[in-house]
Amino acid sequence: MSLLSVRGIVKRYGGLTAVDSVTFEVAPGELVGLIGPNGSGKTTLLNILSGHADPNAGEILLDGKSCHGLKPEQLAHRGVMRMFQLTRVFRRMNVVDNLLVAGRAQGLGAAAAAAQANALIEELRLGVVRDLDAGQLSGGQMKLLEFGVCFMVPPRIALLDEPFAAVHPTMKEIMGAFIRSRHESGQTFILVSHDMPVVVELCHRAICMNAGGVIADAPTRDVLSNTRVIEAYLGGHAA
Amino acid sequence: MNVALAVDLAVNGLITGLFYALMAIGLSLIFGILRIVNFAHGEFYMVGAYAYTLIALAVGLPVWISLPVAFLVGAAFGWTTERLLMRPLYAGYTSWGLMRDEYAVIVTFGLSLFLINLVDKVIGPYAYRGPTLVDVSRITLGPILISGHRLTAAIIAIVVIAITAALMKWSFWGKQIRAVAQNRLGASLAGIDTARASSIVFMLSGGLAAFAGALLSPVINASPDVGAFPAIKSYIIVVLGGMGSVPGSIIASLALGVIESFGAVYLSYDYRDAFGLGLLMLFLLFRPQGLFGEKGREV
Amino acid sequence: MSSQSASGSGKVAKSSSSKLSTAKTEIEFRVALIVLVMVALIPAIVSNPYWLGVLIVSMYFAILAGAWNLLAGYTGQFSLAPATFAMIGAYSTGLLGTYFGVPPLLGILAAILVAGLIGLVLGRIVLRLKGPYLALTTLSFAEILRLIAANSINITRGDLGLGVPGLFNSRIGWYYVFLGVLAVLLIALYALLRSKAGLFLQAIRDDEVAAARSGVDVVFWKTAAFALSAAASGFAGALYAHFAELVTPELGLIGQTGLIVSMTVIGGIGTLVGPIVGAFLVYVLSEWLRDVGGYQLVVFALLVIIFARFFRDGLWGIARFFMRRARST
Repeated sequence: MSLLSVRGIVKRYGGLTAVDSVTFEVAPGELVGLIGPNGSGKTTLLNILSGHADPNAGEILLDGKSCHGLKPEQLAHRGVMRMFQLTRVFRRMNVVDNLLVAGRAQGLGAAAAAAQANALIEELRLGVVRDLDAGQLSGGQMKLLEFGVCFMVPPRIALLDEPFAAVHPTMKEIMGAFIRSRHESGQTFILVSHDMPVVVELCHRAICMNAGGVIADAPTRDVLSNTRVIEAYLGGHAA
Repeated sequence: MNVALAVDLAVNGLITGLFYALMAIGLSLIFGILRIVNFAHGEFYMVGAYAYTLIALAVGLPVWISLPVAFLVGAAFGWTTERLLMRPLYAGYTSWGLMRDEYAVIVTFGLSLFLINLVDKVIGPYAYRGPTLVDVSRITLGPILISGHRLTAAIIAIVVIAITAALMKWSFWGKQIRAVAQNRLGASLAGIDTARASSIVFMLSGGLAAFAGALLSPVINASPDVGAFPAIKSYIIVVLGGMGSVPGSIIASLALGVIESFGAVYLSYDYRDAFGLGLLMLFLLFRPQGLFGEKGREV
Repeated sequence: MSSQSASGSGKVAKSSSSKLSTAKTEIEFRVALIVLVMVALIPAIVSNPYWLGVLIVSMYFAILAGAWNLLAGYTGQFSLAPATFAMIGAYSTGLLGTYFGVPPLLGILAAILVAGLIGLVLGRIVLRLKGPYLALTTLSFAEILRLIAANSINITRGDLGLGVPGLFNSRIGWYYVFLGVLAVLLIALYALLRSKAGLFLQAIRDDEVAAARSGVDVVFWKTAAFALSAAASGFAGALYAHFAELVTPELGLIGQTGLIVSMTVIGGIGTLVGPIVGAFLVYVLSEWLRDVGGYQLVVFALLVIIFARFFRDGLWGIARFFMRRARST
């Protein structure tokens, strides 16, 4: 059975159709890449999946149950964790507390949350800055922190919106290793990224969007050699 | 309903609305361009009332000079407020970071308290009656009985409002200001000096409010907290008319003037100020963009 | 305590929760307790009933400032109606006593509940509002209620004031009652901040969207903050009603809110000790300097502006800065 069923999702903003009848299934344990040129609707789709926007039509099923009308916090409790494209952390709280918020909000007790936070800090190599306020971190460290927040409680599905954008190679490596190891343990991901080498390396399957619609949904290598996909990125006919 | 009474109430309501409009236009522009509410707006009104009254009475200048001077004094206060307290917000050097709105609330609230108490101590808590513009006390216009000063003030207000509206619509800076109100980042990318636009808006706002205070000082005498009530009225109007919309503010001002005028007679004199406040709450909850407001777009 | 550990990935971190942010709150709590202990000892030196009265009113304001700080400083909701809830509490116990013969203690309890309930409703209504919209809505709410109280002369006797029975005759007694309530509320606030509630409220303050993403029930906690803040303010108002034995609409004047905001900002917004220190400082000084020259309100307002502009963490922040400097030399 699919973990996530997306069926006929449509989202319009005034005259613009940002997401146009998108349908796909994600099975448990899949690491799916979501690619496409800027403005293709990837972030809007993610917003709908994480409850930050309501679709005009279509439905979404998580573990067979409808997600219609659920707010982000309710979806978080169902196990949908979302990383934002523009990093969002609690700037006036320190790194540990940032993690604790997610842990306690999703039902962990004080001791369990503290232990998990410490474990994540160590795995993400944020130990040096654990007592600093999140607002004092570098951009890449903030992304790592937001990354960790998503995994305080292992989510049913993790939606990562361009986690590697403008990030130092060392931190990219840390995130990549983290994703790989969780994936091996069965964690399901949807990864939005423009970083093709990473997508090829991590994702066995890719969904390509353009102008709101899905134009390819296949094993990654096939998608990347698909002429429609190449045209979408280059904006014309491939040579 | 007695037609003569209705006409009288309507005309008086509209005239009151004109004075409200002088207060509200500036506040609306400030919100449109900086997305903040200036809680010291009433004190610009107060400053104008005092400036006009004291310059005319203590210094002895004729009222026709004191009036524009009051405008200039208000404009100066506005400029100073923007330069010292608001500029840092957008230049990024306060420790409030993303809590810009909250900073503006506290800082302008503090400014309001400061000005009220300063005037109270330096000049005194007693009210000063400003000199009227015209000495005719009663003029009959059809069914309406009106004082010479109020009529003259109304005419001046119409002229000033018309000039302001025209400037906003057609002048170079008017267009710049409206561009910044729609999209600050986009406007600066297009080369508009957003800091200068903010300055101009604050000067205009201070000047107009001071002008209103001056015009009304013979009736609503200058005292330290005289600005509190006009301020609350202008907050109501700015929300009803749409924050950032000059035409909206003007229409909402006239409407509120008329509503209060009729409401005081037919509904309740004691609670006449509560109508506007109740309307304000309803709009804020269900239609915060007001009747004519635009929702800004982000880059 | 505050320097970062040099260890990166190698060492195993200690298992307890974050040292720094709860440590901040802990220090603030201890200093606040010390301040309260000092206040408790003052009657040994000062017996002038006028000055004891001044200190009692300072404690009234300290409770109001603390309640507003919970809502604005810790949850980020800058309401302009704190004085209104004190007025609601005062009128609740006053009206119940006058028209229904409810004894003062029950009246005070009712006041807490009424104020808390109205705060809950208001909080629910203003959920989606931020910054200036929230300020304007709460401001108009405050003014409407004050107007209603002032104009409903048949019920409240308007500006003449509603007579309220006192609880007991001893000023010293009232001194320690107010101090006791202040202390209890301080301890309750401290406990709240150390619990997960404290984490959630501050998360909401910093970034509501990120809080929701992390699973925080934003609606519940924002409303709860409003309700708790209102209930505490109502408590203070009801106590004051029985102390002053008179309730007037003046309790809900915007100027009173101005005082509360000033005290909190000058003392240090978003800290446990700021509102208490701010309240005592501002109110005692304003009474003390009243004879001397009377410019104190001007000065305080100017301080609010300066502090908001340059010293966001208020006097407490300045004190902490010097403490840290002293420790590192």
